Order: sequence, then C-alpha cells, then structure tokens
Amino acid sequence: MDFAIKFAFDIMAFTSVMVLIVLGLGVIASMMGIFNFAHGELVLLGAYTVYLCDEYGMGAWTGVILAPLVVGAVGLVLERTIIRRFYATPIIAMLGTYAIGLIIREIVRGLLGGHYKAIPEPVSGAFAIGGLEFSIWRSFIIATTLAVIAGCYLLLARTSIGLRVRGALENPMLARACGISTGRLYALTFAFGAALAGLAGALIVPLYALSADIGIRFLVQAFLSVMLGGVGTFEGPVLGAAAVGGMAASLPWVVIPVLADPLVFVIALVIVRLRPQGFITVGRL
Amino acid sequence: MNVATGAAALRQVRVRSSSLPLLPVIELAMLAALVATPFALASRPELITLMTNILILSLLALSFDLCWGFSGIMSYGQALFFGVAGYVVALVGRDLDFSQMWATLPLAMLVGALLAAALAAFLLLGRKTPTSIFVAFGTLTGAYAAERLVAGWQYVGAGNGLSSIKLMAFGNYEFVEGFEFYSVALGALVVVYLLSRAVVRSQLGLVLAGMRQNEERLAFFGYRVQVFKALIFTFSGAVAGLSGALYSYHQGFTGPTNLGPGLSTTAVIYCLFGGSGTLIGPVIGTIAIELLSYVLADTDAIRQFWPVILGVVLLVVVMFQPTGLLGLVVSPRERIGSFGARRRVG
Repeated sequence: MDFAIKFAFDIMAFTSVMVLIVLGLGVIASMMGIFNFAHGELVLLGAYTVYLCDEYGMGAWTGVILAPLVVGAVGLVLERTIIRRFYATPIIAMLGTYAIGLIIREIVRGLLGGHYKAIPEPVSGAFAIGGLEFSIWRSFIIATTLAVIAGCYLLLARTSIGLRVRGALENPMLARACGISTGRLYALTFAFGAALAGLAGALIVPLYALSADIGIRFLVQAFLSVMLGGVGTFEGPVLGAAAVGGMAASLPWVVIPVLADPLVFVIALVIVRLRPQGFITVGRL
Repeated sequence: MNVATGAAALRQVRVRSSSLPLLPVIELAMLAALVATPFALASRPELITLMTNILILSLLALSFDLCWGFSGIMSYGQALFFGVAGYVVALVGRDLDFSQMWATLPLAMLVGALLAAALAAFLLLGRKTPTSIFVAFGTLTGAYAAERLVAGWQYVGAGNGLSSIKLMAFGNYEFVEGFEFYSVALGALVVVYLLSRAVVRSQLGLVLAGMRQNEERLAFFGYRVQVFKALIFTFSGAVAGLSGALYSYHQGFTGPTNLGPGLSTTAVIYCLFGGSGTLIGPVIGTIAIELLSYVLADTDAIRQFWPVILGVVLLVVVMFQPTGLLGLVVSPRERIGSFGARRRVG
C-alpha cells in the first residue's frame, strides 16, 4: 500500500511535467494549427535560465521565476520574426520550427560544452505524512501544475482576453471581422505557450541533470498527447498528457522495459488513428 | 489545413514564358561529373569513399523527395526503412553468413517496401481519411519508436549497433570501399533515378503531380488519392531500403541512430536544399551539404557548430527559397513538370 502511494505520487509528478509541456504545445496547436517542433528547446531554455541564475549566484529560485518570463519573451520574438510566416502552411511550419529547435539546441550544447550539469533542488528534503515521505520539490511541481491549469481555465473562461481567444479559435475570420486582432492574439498565444514550456523546463531541471537533450525526450510524447486529447480543446491536451504520462510511467511495470517505451507510442498512435478527433469530440472551451 | 495549400504555397505556380529546358542538361552534367569523379580522384581514395557515401545518401534523399516533392507526404520515416534494411542485411550477414548482393539488395528493397506498405496501410488507408499532419506525426513516431526499440534490443546489438558487417559480395568477389563500391553505388543511383523518372513522368506521375497541387480536386475527380499515396510511399520505402543496405555494407556498421528521426530530417534538409519536386535536386543537395560538411569539418570551431549551420540553412530555405538551389536556375514551369502547369486558384 505504501509502495502504491509512493508510486502514484511519482507518476503524478511526472505527469504534471508532461501536462505543463503539452499545455503549451496544445495551446499553440489549437490556435494556430502549427505543431511547434522547437517546443523541447523552449523547455531547454527554461532549464538553462535556471542554470545561469544558479551559476551567477542569484539563486535557483530567481531562475524558476525568471524562466517563464525569459522564454516567453524569446517566444514572442520568434513568433513576430519567423513563426507567423508559417501559419498558412502547417507542414512547412514543422520544418521551420524544427530548424529553430536545432539551432537553439546546438548553441546551448556548445555553451554547455557537452557536459551534464546537476542543479540542486531549490527546496530539498521531504515531508512525511503518515510515515510516508514525499519530496517537497515534486509536491511543488504538482501544485504549480494544478495552479497553472486552474489559472489557464479561469483566463479562458472568465476574462475578456479569454473570450477573444475562444472567438478566434472558433472562427478566426469572423473574429477578425469583429475587430479582434488575431495577429496580436497569435503572438500572445505563442509567447504564453513558450512561457509554459520555460516554466516546465525550470521545474524539471533539478530532477534531470541539465543537458542539451533535456527537452527533446518529451517532444514526441507531447505531440502524441496533443493529438490524443484532440486539437482545439483546453481539456483535451491535459487529458492526453495524463494518459500518455501515466502510460509511460506505468507500462515498464507491466511489460519488459525495452518494449514499454515504443509500445507507448504505438498504442497512442493507434488510438489517434481510430479516433482522430481526440478524446473530446466537441471543442467546447 | 490541407496538404494542397502547403504544397502549392511551397512551390507557387507562376506560369512564365518557357525557356530552354535546363533540367536534362543539369542531369547529364551531373552524370558526367559523377562518372568522372573516381578517375579524377584516383590518388585520393578517402575522397572516393566520401563520394560513395554521398551517392548512397542521395538515394535516401531521393526517396524522401518521391514522398514530399512529388506527392505531398511529409515523411519523417525514410530513415526507418533505411535503417531496418541496413539491420536486415547486417543480420543476414552475421547469422546466415550470406552477403551476395544479387540476393541481399533485392531483399533490402523488399523489406523497405513491405515496411513502407504496412506503415502506409495503417496511416493512409482506411475509412477515415487522415490529415497530412497526422501522417507526418505517424512516420515520425514510427521512426522514433523503432529507434528506441532497437537501442534496447540485445539481439541487434542494442545501443552499440552492429559492427564488422560481412562485406557485400558477388560470387567470390568482395566489395571493399573504393572504386568498385563507388561503381555499384553509382549504378544503383542511376537505375533508381531512371526508374523514378519513368514513374513520375508516367500517368501515375501525372496523378501524383495533380495530388500535390490540389489533393481535394483530384479526390473529386474520383481518384483514390490515399491509394496513390500509399503506392508512391511503398516505392520510396524500397529506394530507402536499397540505400540503407548499401550504407550498412559500405560503413561496415549500423546503429540505432540510422533508424531515427534525426537521419530522416537530414534527408529532408538534403532534399529541400537541393530543390524538392525535381529528381536531381536531392542528389545535388546531398552532394553540396556533405561536401560542405567535409570541408568545414577541418576547423574545430566550425565542426562544433555544424548542426547550427544546418539549422540555419534549413530555416533560410523554408523561409526564403522553398524551391532550393535548383529553383534559382530552373524555371518553375520546367521544375513542376511537363504535364502543363496550372495557375492555382484561391
């Protein structure tokens, strides 16, 4: 029983990270219809920001707070200069964002010198409930993710920006005709998605050592999560991430680990093939 | 979000006054240069090895071009067929002690074709028409999953891959790196090139050209677009398989990275840089990029940032020069084909 609770806790922490990454990816895919292949590198940039802050004595906490802002700004610049050219051609956008990702990743690799950098948890240690120990940092990740999901939901459902976003999502042409600047909305959305990626990167870097490939390991899983959940919804990607994250964390216990990893992809792909519209058929939010 | 918009925007059809046909001239010039290469480089065996490698990789680029340039399927899975065929010939050499090229090369093509057909059947055929995005992700995921599987599978050498692959043989003669292997690679490239040329200029090719320009319209004409896509995808799988087998024999080594999305994307870069939608484009692109990489690799500072340069090249190509190097010299009318280019509506 103790083991089961610990196990569930670890799966939740891992899934929370997936949700953060997938949420950013899903927001961009839903709004603009492009799949951002550079998303893993935005995660990397978030992690790198924390590393830099830690290195220059500003403390990892500053880094965790700065990461979403910095990466969001990077996202804004990328959108204004490059990404916006690709909205009409989603397939070409894959190549373009892949190129951006490649450039960022290899530059960071060069800056890191190919080494792995370990970054301490900003708050280390654990707390105990009923004789069970829980890592504080992992709990913090789970709490942050829940807060972000709630925040996103409120933003979309309760604010006027959210209304405009939903309008542009539903019918971009009509939204433009109503005087909503979809271009600005897209820039904002991209920056927001990037900021979420940056936050995810900042949160995971103490768990995995910092290397240039820290983001890319999540990318394919994140894509599948978005498709699994359904593009164009808010809950879809979150559910998809939970499904894929849960599967990735628990399958190694069921089948041999060598098979588990590819199996996650195959299962997810088959489900997407059979249900291309995703878990949620009607785009509600 | 249909592929037609993407493909059409990539190569905007601008009907211009016709000029002299340039493509056949370029094709013949390339052939002459490639035939002359081993004689010109007779004193530099390492360069012949490099050129052999390039020829083999240009087969891979060609196979990607058949998918994307000619039928609008964005395939990140070419390396999957390439890699699996490479593993198959390596395993046949290791476990059956057999490497006669008259049997193993066709076997590799068959493996590539079957794998591609299976993937196409899953991704393309069926009651629900898939989106082009899904197909791109399907091929990407397939390659990625295969890479992870092979990297953990002891029988095929896991992360270390398979080394000291049995040399390719014909009768008692064994091919090592050098002039003979170069001839085999060039022969394979020429045969595949001519075959592809025949395919894309046939009636089938006419349907493909129509598909990449406006898939919906072709569907309305009554063509079963997905079946044609599956056909060309299978053919490209066979080409990639041949390339992978030659690559394994030539390198004497194959590893998990030969299966993954990384190599697939390299093939994409070769093809787009040279000019997709023409058959000679990928060959030129492969040669240009690999030679550049060879020249620049001497400098330490540049070698470290070579992937960055590749990224910049890809970005510049997709943003500013989607027709690649060939687009600079060959008119769009000629590039798109002799089926009568048509102005895109809307």
